[in-house]
Amino acid sequence: MYLDRFVNGTGQYIDDLKFPNMLYMSVVRSPYAHARIKTVSGGLNALEIKGFYNMKNDDNAEPIFAIDEVRYVGQPVAAVFSENRYESEDLIEGVDVDYEPINDAVTTIEASLKSKPIFGLKNNILSTTETGKTFDESEVKYDIKVKDTIDIGRVLANPMETRGIIADYRNGVLHIYVSSQSIHRLKNYFVKSLSQFGISEKNIVVHHVDTGGAFGLKAAMYPEYIAACYASMKYKKPVKWIETRTEHINSAHGGRGIRADITVYAKNDGEITGLDGDVYIDNGAYYVDTASDDLGNVIHLMTGPYKIEKAHLYGHYVLTNKSLNGWYRGAGKPEAGIVMERMIDLLADKLNMDMAEIRLKNAIDAPFKSPLGLEFKTPAKSLLEDALKYFDYEKKAKEKNVGIALFMLDQDAAPGETCRLIVKGGIIHVYFGGDVHGQGHELFARSILNKELGVEEDKVILELPDTEILKEGVGTWGSRSAIIHGSALIKAAELLRKDAIKKFGKYDKDILLNNEFDELYYYKVDYNEYTPNFNMVTSDPHDPDSIKIYSYYDIGKKLNEKNIMGQIEGGAIQAISEVLCETIRYSEDGQVLTTNITDSGLLTADKIPEFHTKLVENPSGFTDMAKGVAESPSTGIPIALARSIEVQLKTRINKFPIDRLELFNRVL
Amino acid sequence: MMVNIRVNGKQYKKDIEPRLLLVNFLRDELNLTGTHIGCDTSNCGACTVLMDGKSVKSCTVLAMQANNHEITTIEHEDPELDAIKDAYVEEQGLQCGFCTPGMIIESFYLLKNAGDKEVDDDYIKKNLRGNLCRCTGYRSIIDSIKKANKNIKEREEIHVSR
Ligand code: FES
Ligand code: FES
Repeated sequence: MYLDRFVNGTGQYIDDLKFPNMLYMSVVRSPYAHARIKTVSGGLNALEIKGFYNMKNDDNAEPIFAIDEVRYVGQPVAAVFSENRYESEDLIEGVDVDYEPINDAVTTIEASLKSKPIFGLKNNILSTTETGKTFDESEVKYDIKVKDTIDIGRVLANPMETRGIIADYRNGVLHIYVSSQSIHRLKNYFVKSLSQFGISEKNIVVHHVDTGGAFGLKAAMYPEYIAACYASMKYKKPVKWIETRTEHINSAHGGRGIRADITVYAKNDGEITGLDGDVYIDNGAYYVDTASDDLGNVIHLMTGPYKIEKAHLYGHYVLTNKSLNGWYRGAGKPEAGIVMERMIDLLADKLNMDMAEIRLKNAIDAPFKSPLGLEFKTPAKSLLEDALKYFDYEKKAKEKNVGIALFMLDQDAAPGETCRLIVKGGIIHVYFGGDVHGQGHELFARSILNKELGVEEDKVILELPDTEILKEGVGTWGSRSAIIHGSALIKAAELLRKDAIKKFGKYDKDILLNNEFDELYYYKVDYNEYTPNFNMVTSDPHDPDSIKIYSYYDIGKKLNEKNIMGQIEGGAIQAISEVLCETIRYSEDGQVLTTNITDSGLLTADKIPEFHTKLVENPSGFTDMAKGVAESPSTGIPIALARSIEVQLKTRINKFPIDRLELFNRVL
Repeated sequence: MMVNIRVNGKQYKKDIEPRLLLVNFLRDELNLTGTHIGCDTSNCGACTVLMDGKSVKSCTVLAMQANNHEITTIEHEDPELDAIKDAYVEEQGLQCGFCTPGMIIESFYLLKNAGDKEVDDDYIKKNLRGNLCRCTGYRSIIDSIKKANKNIKEREEIHVSR
């Protein structure tokens, strides 16, 4: 089992794999946030590979290696290779790049909006989208209007294992081993990006390996991956690239990075009648497909659990001289919740209303089609009432350091997931379409098959798939794993049972294990599940050790309680650092000021909060009845913590991280 | 240069580059890949090993500094280390597993050196500050260490007749 493998140090992470004659790749990167490249000599560079990697070949796609221009510090300019890891780093020195710096870099949304156009467009906005219907003030009934700007800083995934890949071109087939959340999603990218080098879909196989955390980062495509593949095809040798942490901080795609200018219209009794505004995403220096999920989630989910009749939002992709936008745990969902809840608290303060009362007033109490286009089937009001009672909000609120959060967890169930079961040698080998990277898929695979098929848990092994053994698959992200993998597994187990009966006239576990079977099931789903959830936080801002987290989560069905608690505890510490101190810092001229992983703001073991958790089980409509959890703490805890600090400090909190020195010093 | 390094009770004699880091010596020369690399700035603790019984970050020690010293890694066979590993499994003190070998070696160290201090949350938290975990939020790691401590203590207790 994975737990045994990992405690014994026998996991096979990407850097643990070694192939004969393997080359190590090191990457020459831009030291400037914006510069023209006059000449490059040495290494593999754009003189040889003049191509793009993100399936879009227009002016704002990022090239694999910089062509004529660099737009952010850390942008790949060339790559060098050696059989010796240290020597490949030495070779970086031998590459000559003649830069002509352009002193016009912009590193914040504000600076970019104010600056003259520097990315070859009419302004620095790459594109604009919108949700809901525009409305005129005269069309909403309101007594009060509150406005604010909420800023959420850039947060990097920073999994303990950085990005890494081995490309091995052998016998005409390119085998790609990669630390990943979805080999199938990556394969799609590889097929599209590598076709320019004459290799086709049937000659590309992507292999999942043990993956040391991802948090959204490892579902995306990166120029280094394509460079490694190209090099392997060129040199006919395996090529390994393992990102250093410093490269990660400079170059890996960063999450969050949102600014929202929002207006909320309400009546004096607290009823919210309208919401509109502009949301800007810090897109980074080039077009990137992940940004549309991040921004899309923010502008679709913002009204969340509330019955608001009218809403309209513009979403703007703002170019900056930074590494590109990427996903980070929640990918736009926490941002939507944070913005909405910060606005509700502001409204409550203006109306002198209790923060629970105003939420109860607006929470949906029947299925509701939101003005931003989503269908919420599960009402939020009753859950809010239950949660407030369960944690004795009334009493705690009198202690005056409470913050609460109500939000809709959007679980990315669609489009479903695949599961293949191969029974051989007395073992059931399980292959899932979504790649595990810390969610414990194997635990529920074992318990579900034990229950469904009566086999002992130690007869079940979760295997690492490749795109041959499992031709289709989706991925592990978006609070979907327990729901979608559990359900696909139950369905595949049903096929096994039927097949056994068909062949042997009856089912028992010995018939199953003593014979060979092979079943594949694609559990298709065409909708996402939206579940209301609740958090409360109490804190003393002068003592971060005092943080107490109260979570009231509807998880449908508990598949493995310890595992669920682990997701909550892990999400909580990330949420706390995001509120207090975690971000990637840039100087005005685009230099990355964050120099290491501690500097990024990750917290250590002495900063953990106290937990009070209630897991409610209202079964979902999926086969295994589960609901998601992993993004709930990322959404609810920042909201409630920010409010709890606001109540204490009596200072409006509209910027994340709060970054006030006295808090920061206490924490780090 | 030649070095003689004892790793997990076994003596290794190797000709190495003077700049080789201990972590690369273990991983690349000896193929002991349980010790991980999580950063290049000595911040994360994924590479934690014991050198003569003291916990060190093997990315911050040159292999030649380990010449004639004794190194203990996650691959070491030892009943106490096994008890810690078992506790991590029981308490699910890991998710992706990448920080785990470093965490377990640090746990091994802090349990061995607790002396008469109580192995409680405080003691563990203070001594675990050099090891980062991005997944678990540390709660289950702390619980694993407490459980390991209990299991080890119970095992050591002998039956005394009245
Ligand atoms: S690898 Fe991060 S401290 Fe050694
Ligand atoms: S378990 Fe993933 S970093 Fe600790």
